[in-house]
Amino acid sequence: MFFTMNKKEQYEEDLLRKFINPERIEKAPEGFTSRTLARIQIEAQSSVLKKGFFFKNRLPLISAAITTGFIIIALLIPASNKGSGSSTAWQYIRNLEITLPQISNDYLHNLSLPGWVSYAVTALFLLVVFDRALFVFFHKGNNP
Amino acid sequence: MDNRNDTYYIEQVLEGKINAFSYLVDRHKDKAYNLAFRICGNREEAEEIAQDAFIKAYRSLRNFRNKSSFSTWLFRIVYNTSISLVRSRKKGVLAIEEFPADAVDFLGINRNEEEAVEDYRNSLINFALQKISEDDRGLITLYYYDDLDTEEISKITGISKSGIKVRLFRARKKMADIIAKVEQKNVFYHE
Repeated sequence: MFFTMNKKEQYEEDLLRKFINPERIEKAPEGFTSRTLARIQIEAQSSVLKKGFFFKNRLPLISAAITTGFIIIALLIPASNKGSGSSTAWQYIRNLEITLPQISNDYLHNLSLPGWVSYAVTALFLLVVFDRALFVFFHKGNNP
Repeated sequence: MDNRNDTYYIEQVLEGKINAFSYLVDRHKDKAYNLAFRICGNREEAEEIAQDAFIKAYRSLRNFRNKSSFSTWLFRIVYNTSISLVRSRKKGVLAIEEFPADAVDFLGINRNEEEAVEDYRNSLINFALQKISEDDRGLITLYYYDDLDTEEISKITGISKSGIKVRLFRARKKMADIIAKVEQKNVFYHE
């Protein structure tokens, strides 16, 4: 006992001990474990769906970021490497002396397409490759 | 039941083996359910609370730091959930004023006297528990049914050790008075 009791307190203690049988606890109803596990299974599945916006949309977001990068590069670095901008970013990029490769569409003899179409098709192709690569990378743990 | 300790199963669950959690549920379900039942006094709600506690524990298993045992951590969830539920529905429940039975009422056709007395005592304890505060019901359950010391009860309830002693003293006195009153009226029951 955790402290000394007087007679009345001892009587109360004994009375409760007489009435409370620790072996007679209220047992969980039958099937409790399976019902709880079933709820946990549902919880585990829905928690994947409940993950945040950025996690759920990580593939399109990364793709969008890469696309934006391409567009910015395309805008800032024309094929001739002659920009009119004078910002620090532009100066820095120009100093890198990067140019987009010249893409020839001579093989399309009968079609007169604007020059940017070749770049757009190439960018699209690269995006598809990136998308597949990212998909494989992020889903590699999901397969048994 | 497997004899491996809780930590082993917790690690298994954290490695993605959800079914390992069933061992933890099996091991602790009765005490968790008993605590919930003694506090809320309703079997359906007790099951709901105990299940919710296990689910909350599962969700937070990664945050479990082994500072206390899994059972202490689980009981803390059960205790807090039960008390919140009782407080939220307090105004809507009418408590029974008089204990509605005596030992004879528990004597069924196919039952022996010993079982009837046990049932009577259990019901009387449940009746007396409903006459004390929900926090005290939890303390009584943890102290008498689970045989925990004040330090362990303190970890579960967040009440100081001295506070637990005082509250246990008052709760025990009140319950003993209720039991004694019922016993005085109960002319059919003899030790």
